[in-house]
Amino acid sequence: MNPPGRADVASVSDDLRAFLASATGRDELLRIPPGTALFGTEVGLDSLTGTLLLREIQRRFGVDVAGEDLNLDSLATLGTLAAFVAQRARPEGHP
Amino acid sequence: MTREGPVKCVVWDIDNTLLTGTYLESGDQPPGADPALTAVLAELGERGILHALASKNPPEAAEHTARVTGWRFAAAECGWGSKSGALARIAAALGIAVDALAFVDDDPYERAEVGLALPGVLVLSPEDAAEAAGWPEFSPPVITPEARRRGEMYAERRRRQAAERSFGGTREEFLASAGTQVGIAAATAADVPRLEELAVRTRQFNSAAGLPGPAMSQDWFRGLLSAPDRDVVTVRLRDAFGDDGVVGGCVIARDAGTWTVPLLMMSCRAMGRGVIDALLAWLIRHAARAGARRLLIPCVANSRNVPLRLALAAAGFRAPGPAGPAPAPYQRDLGPPLPALPRRVSAPGEPGGDAA
Repeated sequence: MNPPGRADVASVSDDLRAFLASATGRDELLRIPPGTALFGTEVGLDSLTGTLLLREIQRRFGVDVAGEDLNLDSLATLGTLAAFVAQRARPEGHP
Repeated sequence: MTREGPVKCVVWDIDNTLLTGTYLESGDQPPGADPALTAVLAELGERGILHALASKNPPEAAEHTARVTGWRFAAAECGWGSKSGALARIAAALGIAVDALAFVDDDPYERAEVGLALPGVLVLSPEDAAEAAGWPEFSPPVITPEARRRGEMYAERRRRQAAERSFGGTREEFLASAGTQVGIAAATAADVPRLEELAVRTRQFNSAAGLPGPAMSQDWFRGLLSAPDRDVVTVRLRDAFGDDGVVGGCVIARDAGTWTVPLLMMSCRAMGRGVIDALLAWLIRHAARAGARRLLIPCVANSRNVPLRLALAAAGFRAPGPAGPAPAPYQRDLGPPLPALPRRVSAPGEPGGDAA
């Protein structure tokens, strides 16, 4: 159940997977489970891919992750990031 | 005007700005270059400032402008979209902040559009631009070898990015295949001008960005070089595509138990090449080897230095407490396991590295 205007965690997760795969050119990232660590060796998020990812989230969902999360703890795993974004997504950002 | 800090790239309009007429209305005889502004291109280029084009014209207009001015532009956006959109794409392509751009256009409408959409951009008429070489925004305090080579380095960067796009493997594999070498070493007096330049110019990777505190002048760095409990460190970067020279550095304050890094900085040109991650991993290993239990990196947290905050988070640093205007006390315990250092990195105290 999502409140009106909020996004669905599963669909946000799919969007994030698709973006990570296209930004890195690695199709295997389309299939990572929610518990996958983003900074770990598997995804290997660094300051460049991380900045691109946060920019895309802002563009698509209207959520300023870095502005709301000083420590970027929301980037721990794919699942924590998707939940953080889904909870704050603006309706116009994700019809 | 909200902008601050030096201009890194000037984005020029073509028609009736760099050219003495309108490209598409001149038939077989396209207009020549404006001599005063051509001189400004050269003067600013010599100071390490980049030039780019944004024009409502076909791409041939950019080629013609490059020919008649004799200038190699770092980027060109030709099309019929908004100029503010063109500026944002140029900043992204060059890896610099939009606020580090200046924009020159003879059309007051275009100047107003950019000024409204991008309030951090320094917007100038061609008449302003002819005099701007004397302004502080266009006068870097020092001009280093890195600054003079900046135009070439952007060309190397484009070749490197094209190679990476067609490479296919992971970034780690690409860095290895490109022969990437990161050299961390103690700074010497000869590095001081470049360290000051990095302290002044870097935004996205600068832990002290925007701090009013002590001016990070050449004198400040020189004083640190002879301080018994302080270390100043440089980071060099090169690969098969080119030598970027000194791309980063940091200052270390060694106190018993806790080591503090009052300044950590890296050129955004080195982004995506494993440099900041290598520097953070080495700092952790180096401090732990010396017996410190905690490494503290106070870092101003704003929307500009998100890349540095990402690198800090990836290296295990956290800042307790809510965000505020003061530097956030990012810190990390130095217990095992310690991060690995890739073999391409040479550093004091590491196998194959310089002596500490």
